[in-house]
Amino acid sequence: MNTSNVDSKPKIRKETKNKIKVDFERTSFKERFKAKFLTLTFLKKVVWIIVRYILLIGVAYIVLFPFFSKISSSLMAPSDFNDSMVRLIPKNFSVDIYKAIFTEQEYMTAFGNTLLLSLSTALIQTFVCSFIAYGFAKFKFKGNKILFALVILTMIIPHRTLQLAITNMFANFDILGIFSFLSGGGISIFGFEYNNEFLSSINILGNIDSKVFTPDGVRLVNTFWPYIILSITGLAFKNGLYIFLLRQFFMGVPDELEESAYIDGSGVFKTFFTIILPISIPMMITVFLFSFSWCWTDIYYSKVFFTGNNAPLLLTSEIGKELPSSIKDLVPNNISKWQTAIRTTGGLMIIAPLVVIYLFCQKYLVQGIERSGLTAD
Amino acid sequence: MTDMLEVKVKKKRKKTVSLDKKKARAGWIFVLPFIIGLVFVYFPIVFESLEQSLFYKVPGDATARVFNKFASYYEAFFNADTSGFAQALFTSVGEIILDIPMILLFSLFMAVLLNQKIGGRAVFRAIFFVPVILSTGIMESIDASAVLDTMSNAGGIDDGSGSSAAGEIVDAVDLQKFFNGISLTDGMLKYVTDAINDIFNIVNRSGVQMLIFLAGLQSISPAIYESVQIDGASAWETFWKITFPMISPMILVNAVYTVIDAFTVDSTVMTYISTLKLTEVEKTTAISTAMSWIYFLLVIAILGILVAVLSAYTFYQKKK
Repeated sequence: MNTSNVDSKPKIRKETKNKIKVDFERTSFKERFKAKFLTLTFLKKVVWIIVRYILLIGVAYIVLFPFFSKISSSLMAPSDFNDSMVRLIPKNFSVDIYKAIFTEQEYMTAFGNTLLLSLSTALIQTFVCSFIAYGFAKFKFKGNKILFALVILTMIIPHRTLQLAITNMFANFDILGIFSFLSGGGISIFGFEYNNEFLSSINILGNIDSKVFTPDGVRLVNTFWPYIILSITGLAFKNGLYIFLLRQFFMGVPDELEESAYIDGSGVFKTFFTIILPISIPMMITVFLFSFSWCWTDIYYSKVFFTGNNAPLLLTSEIGKELPSSIKDLVPNNISKWQTAIRTTGGLMIIAPLVVIYLFCQKYLVQGIERSGLTAD
Repeated sequence: MTDMLEVKVKKKRKKTVSLDKKKARAGWIFVLPFIIGLVFVYFPIVFESLEQSLFYKVPGDATARVFNKFASYYEAFFNADTSGFAQALFTSVGEIILDIPMILLFSLFMAVLLNQKIGGRAVFRAIFFVPVILSTGIMESIDASAVLDTMSNAGGIDDGSGSSAAGEIVDAVDLQKFFNGISLTDGMLKYVTDAINDIFNIVNRSGVQMLIFLAGLQSISPAIYESVQIDGASAWETFWKITFPMISPMILVNAVYTVIDAFTVDSTVMTYISTLKLTEVEKTTAISTAMSWIYFLLVIAILGILVAVLSAYTFYQKKK
């Protein structure tokens, strides 16, 4: 054995039962630093991280900036609008605009109505869509594929094309022409119309013409019923998407789960309610969030179903459109800027509750869809 | 004796309902709400809409209608008052065709970024999915109420929507300088600059697509990536040879969704249709309904071609 070999052996300083202390020559800090940080791989990693953050922050900025600019202008005092130095950050904070909208416009009524409508339709849609989707996902019956194609079709045909027909439908809601038949209008099914003397002599309903009933049907506009009817039948806005998502989710649920339940004597429906629904809660929360927020922000259907000015919803009310009279002309020098600020504040107050709910639930939104096992085949 | 026999026969008949049949029945019950809605609500609506487009009202008579032998579909293009329709139609269809690749690329790119392990991922996700809940265009409608704003050009509060001239992020001239050496055609250049200036719109419309892509990325087994890494594939190769094929069914779904979603956005042609006024008043309803059906059919034809092309390149892991 030569000496150098002995030297390179670690010297044991202290040895106990559990610990051992060893002297050894450590590579110098400079060398270690070089090896770790001054390499091409490390450089690549750093550059990539920076690029990634720039991209993410940039897009986050695009998403958030409109909110930021609106919030800041809504918090500005009137004097700030005359100050050319004030751009994005208010100099004098004031909540006058919020106060005025709260007190002078019927914010709380509209808020309550919108909440009621969104909650009820979202609950119904989530449940009905999962019911229908389960049928499509787990049962083989004749026409399964065709019916599912029809689900996609209901999603594809834009409701804007059908707008007039939808309005007419719910202005005089009449299933299979029963109402018009009973009031002497003859037979009218699917656009086919036939009438003769005998049929028109059947006039049980007479010429009722109240607020709710007309000879042609039930008047459902300006109520929540159109939403509820469309939700119960899985035809409401984007319900095709919900059915698609839930079907994908249910298809990922192993069949053995249900089979074992069937063997234990549980029926199809009992299995669905006690076993399938509880495990699909994450996905259902996602669908619930979708339908809740899309009902809340929906401007199209509320215009179709609520005619005239008696619409009690946030989006169809005067909030964000009309200006509260007490603060309307506060900034005479820069009136258009001021009035825009009032309008955008109204808009912010419309979406604020939704954003608050989103902040609490966004975790579930991503979770639900991540666990959906969505593979699209 | 005979009684006994009858009972037995009945019992036997009951038993002959096979499990498959039972399950089929249960399936029908599950989809029953949809069938009821389809038959009693949806079909009548669609039929009435078609009827509206095919029947002209008779002048002077409020209820009478005359079958127009598809003339409304012809007149949608060739009526004296509808000269702008073809233009509006092709503008909108062109917008949809151009938007599809942009939205798909952007949402795929962002989904891949968000799928990586980086600090603050939860925060970024929360921010990026804000457009999902506001995707019915409410932000635009709030902005629209501020359309009169002198804000943007007075140098006041920029609403960030990039609609004002001052808000344009990238100018075509800048990009031309940037791509000086590369021979890009003007059309390509305009497409890129338009896309960048339209980024606000694109971000806001790709929320759901991002979610769907993210779900697809999550469903790819990490074992595949591991084995590829062992084989020495670079990140670039991994993306194109593993991630991209595995995510290709999602591209199909998202392409379809993007086209469908485009119908809910205010497009040039829909605005044209809703503001249509004909001198022959009794024809207005029929022709405007016909127009929206034409628009729908054209987009569906494009969607059909798109699906046919994409599904040829779509990779399915599970063979049916």
